[in-house]
Amino acid sequence: MSAPAQAAPAPAGFSSALSASLRAEVDQVAALAARHATDHDDRAEFPLAVLDALRPRLLGLLVPTRYGGPGGSVDDLVDVTIELGRADMSTAMVFAMHCQQVAAIAGHAGPRLAAELLPEIAAGRMYLASVTTEAGKGGHLMSARAELGARDGLLEIDRFAPVVTGGLHADGYLITMRSPQARSDGEISLVFARRDQVEVAQRGTWNPLGMRASHSIALQLTGRVPEDQVIGEHGAFRRIAMNTFGPLAHLGWSAAWLGTASGALARVVSVLRGPERSRSDFSSELLLTRLSTARQRLDTVHAMVRYTAGAVRRAVEEDADLSHPRHQLLVNALKLTASEQCHRAIDDLVTALGMRHGYLKDSPTGLERALRDLRSAALNYSNDRLHLADGRLTLLDQEVRYA
Amino acid sequence: MDARFVETLTPFLPFLHGETITEDTPLRTYGLDSMQAIELMFALEDSLGVSLPDEALVEETFATAGNLWAATRAAQGADAVTAGTESV
Repeated sequence: MSAPAQAAPAPAGFSSALSASLRAEVDQVAALAARHATDHDDRAEFPLAVLDALRPRLLGLLVPTRYGGPGGSVDDLVDVTIELGRADMSTAMVFAMHCQQVAAIAGHAGPRLAAELLPEIAAGRMYLASVTTEAGKGGHLMSARAELGARDGLLEIDRFAPVVTGGLHADGYLITMRSPQARSDGEISLVFARRDQVEVAQRGTWNPLGMRASHSIALQLTGRVPEDQVIGEHGAFRRIAMNTFGPLAHLGWSAAWLGTASGALARVVSVLRGPERSRSDFSSELLLTRLSTARQRLDTVHAMVRYTAGAVRRAVEEDADLSHPRHQLLVNALKLTASEQCHRAIDDLVTALGMRHGYLKDSPTGLERALRDLRSAALNYSNDRLHLADGRLTLLDQEVRYA
Repeated sequence: MDARFVETLTPFLPFLHGETITEDTPLRTYGLDSMQAIELMFALEDSLGVSLPDEALVEETFATAGNLWAATRAAQGADAVTAGTESV
């Protein structure tokens, strides 16, 4: 009996049209990430073997087909990131943030730079790190202190960044800096630097509470790059941030957090239903209510992730303006909700399972690591700062319409 | 651009340093941040009696003085124009 020539149905967890072979690759990488997760967490080491496994096809997920990529969508990014997050949040964050950089290049780089970089990314030779944090600006994305120098057709980079995820292992960087001769801190350029164009020096050590394998160290970058390595044009970062960087960051992070919490809940249910199930009191209303609440939180985040991904995809397809307050509010609300609810869900589960399976490092539930990892979510672009931005945006949307 | 519009806009551009505002003046470059954009919107309501519609409150509107003036003029509508607003 021959199978009809049609796409295989998407397995549970995948909503998009990701090809069957890519899905199989995601499963392999997730399994590898799961195997290495405890070691990398213990040693606070970047998951180099997992990055190598991502290289052949997945690092190029968002590269358009005309540049040799699979032309993956925002929905594909969400699908893959959730699956990686089930295994290891650091891996999922590294992947999602790389894809955010790729989207910025695909959407905003000039034709020469796009033609140079995108095929390399599709071929898995270019893992990109994001350099947007800066000391003294309180995590404010739309502000930059260090200024690009401009001399003899070259741009001079001298930039300290306190948090660069995977920065020591990147093949290239997208760096925000004050535009040359900028009048204000709000005039920001996004510039690409290849690893061999800059001197990369680690500053300090990396020994955090969670997200330990993301190896988000402080870096000093110095070097010179050709003028045409500016993404878009000088001062274009604000537009890139509103239309690409912000939406994809919040979608990617939220997917990573949702994946982390989903993986933890799955392992909890597995333990509860496993050989030790006689120890659990399934008539306990407290246990049932806590399981229900955790699941409710994750379904809420999942619905928001999917809805926001759809809104962003439609906006991109229709060339709509994502800078409108109602779009920004949706994307920000997703980040706020996902960061709070995924962490709360795991906290509920720790309470539900108690000292042994809720709190011990070596419990097969992995709740201990998930809780530490997810504690970073509200800090990774501070929710406090995001609420201030949303307060202003709320004042601008007098009619209260929704994206 | 209307003189009163320019007068209203000027205090929101701290890096203008006495330069003349033209239609091409990039507002973000001259220091208009997102908090000040809201204050500017309120100031335009007070001085010109014009309320920008929600649809106009996109990044592009606040990109240049000319864009903001165009949105302001569109919001003013025919009534405000016949009421004697002068263009410069």
